[in-house]
Amino acid sequence: MNFLSFQCQHQFSSGFEIDVAFKTEGLVTSLFGPSGSGKSTVLAMISGLLSPTFGKIRLGSKWLLDTDQRFCEPVENRRVGVVFQDQLLFPHMTVNVNLRFGQKNENIKKPFEFNRVVDVLELGSLLDRYPNNLSGGERQRVALGRALLSSPEILLMDEPMGALDDNLKLRVLAYLERVVNEWKIPTLFVSHGQAEVRRLADWLIVMKKGKVLSVGEPDQVLGSSTSLAWTNSVGPVNLLRIETAYKRDDCWIGKIGVQELNLPPLKDLNLKPFYVRCLPSDLTLSVQDVQGLSTRNHLNGIVQELVELSDRVLVRVDVGQTLWAEVTPQAMRELKLYRGLSVTCLLKTRSLKILW
Amino acid sequence: MYLDIFLFVGYFLARRQFPGKWLVEILVNLSLVMPPVVTGYLLLQVFKPGTPLAWFLSKFFGMKIAFEFPGLVVAAAVMSFPLMVRSIRLGFQSVDPRLEKMARTLGVGWVSTFFRISLPLGRNGVIAGCVLAFARSLGEFGATVMLVSQRESTRTIPLLIYTLKDRSDGIVEISYLVVVSLFLAAGALAISEYIARKGLRREFS
Repeated sequence: MNFLSFQCQHQFSSGFEIDVAFKTEGLVTSLFGPSGSGKSTVLAMISGLLSPTFGKIRLGSKWLLDTDQRFCEPVENRRVGVVFQDQLLFPHMTVNVNLRFGQKNENIKKPFEFNRVVDVLELGSLLDRYPNNLSGGERQRVALGRALLSSPEILLMDEPMGALDDNLKLRVLAYLERVVNEWKIPTLFVSHGQAEVRRLADWLIVMKKGKVLSVGEPDQVLGSSTSLAWTNSVGPVNLLRIETAYKRDDCWIGKIGVQELNLPPLKDLNLKPFYVRCLPSDLTLSVQDVQGLSTRNHLNGIVQELVELSDRVLVRVDVGQTLWAEVTPQAMRELKLYRGLSVTCLLKTRSLKILW
Repeated sequence: MYLDIFLFVGYFLARRQFPGKWLVEILVNLSLVMPPVVTGYLLLQVFKPGTPLAWFLSKFFGMKIAFEFPGLVVAAAVMSFPLMVRSIRLGFQSVDPRLEKMARTLGVGWVSTFFRISLPLGRNGVIAGCVLAFARSLGEFGATVMLVSQRESTRTIPLLIYTLKDRSDGIVEISYLVVVSLFLAAGALAISEYIARKGLRREFS
């Protein structure tokens, strides 16, 4: 699939220059990078709120912009659904009127039916309220619904969860997943949270200082040393997707491929799939299986890649899913780690955090 | 009556940056700082019988401006123009321009965006402008007295009071007029206050 093709150059009066070209290859693409890298500018160019000096943008089979042909589709004809971090709901309208604001009267094919959108985003009880009386998460859902009801061909989200606390973030993320699953709408979202990128995106574009650093599938791109350069202090965050989980005796078990993962107590076994997060620094690598440890999880895997940073080494291990482990350069030398080596990842149950 | 022009100029000045904007601003605000009598005198020179404009208006529209009722309207409009534009402009400036952009991305054209977003949100400025303009028109004296002079058909409250004050029996009529003025002014303020409060209640409840 090659839905959006983008190639633009623009120089701001401040001197900041942006020169970006990419094509999206998946349903959900994430623009990822530190603040000030020009991610939001790219979104503004696609939505038409900013006109670049030079550029070509094509959405599906439709040209949105071609400066060579002096062609620029007006904002209102582009059929893009934009969701901003601060939602920008119209304060003088109820949620109902806000939602219907961009609804077309024409008889064009409407994949987004009002009642369905209200159902999926659980907006039914909010319809008669004014935006000023809504909580952050509710506003974000309304903004999402409003964008969908304008029957967009692509959804553009500018840090949709940036202003929300962690708990709410997860809930809004769940709604986003629902939306993507329900309507299969191509989505481009700006983010600097690795967890949400890994969960939502199937294609990733990493940007830095107005340039594209790398493009590809999230797992690989997030692990390559070029994209790690800016996120030195954090490193990649591990996010394991659990589809099957059960309780055996008094233990909660999740399946990763054929291997079992001991989980901290689950509140509800029926909420599936869910995600387990852990930091690379919580992992211990062992080249032989060790007995007599209190650590419950021993996951066997193969070393895929070693990323050497100045003060530590990040090891990508395939245990059925990708797992990043952080070790010291000394440990790497001592264990003689190399690509293709079989290792065991030791992981304390306590260090796992469950995300829904 | 001239509200559409006011709205347009106010919105334009609030949103757009263009070369020579300062010149337009000066022109718009000129009648605010110029002595009203001077404005009236200039208007008289433009509209007095015999000028091309007066000839044009009377030939094609059968309208006489100077010394007739339309002159009152012209004088009031010119004098209240800067107040109205200023207040409308402030009203529009208080509207987040990103809300307008948001509306455009939802597939709504700029005309529709203006009527559905900018105007309702900048409404308080427009109301305040109308009240100010009404009050200004009511009290306008200098330009009016120059342009239309004093006749039976073109008598405004201030003109009448001015005439009556020199008459020995004028005191009773003047006191009526004073009371009427008071009620008009207070009424206008009350109406604008009521509308503004109603708007607030609706938005934040």
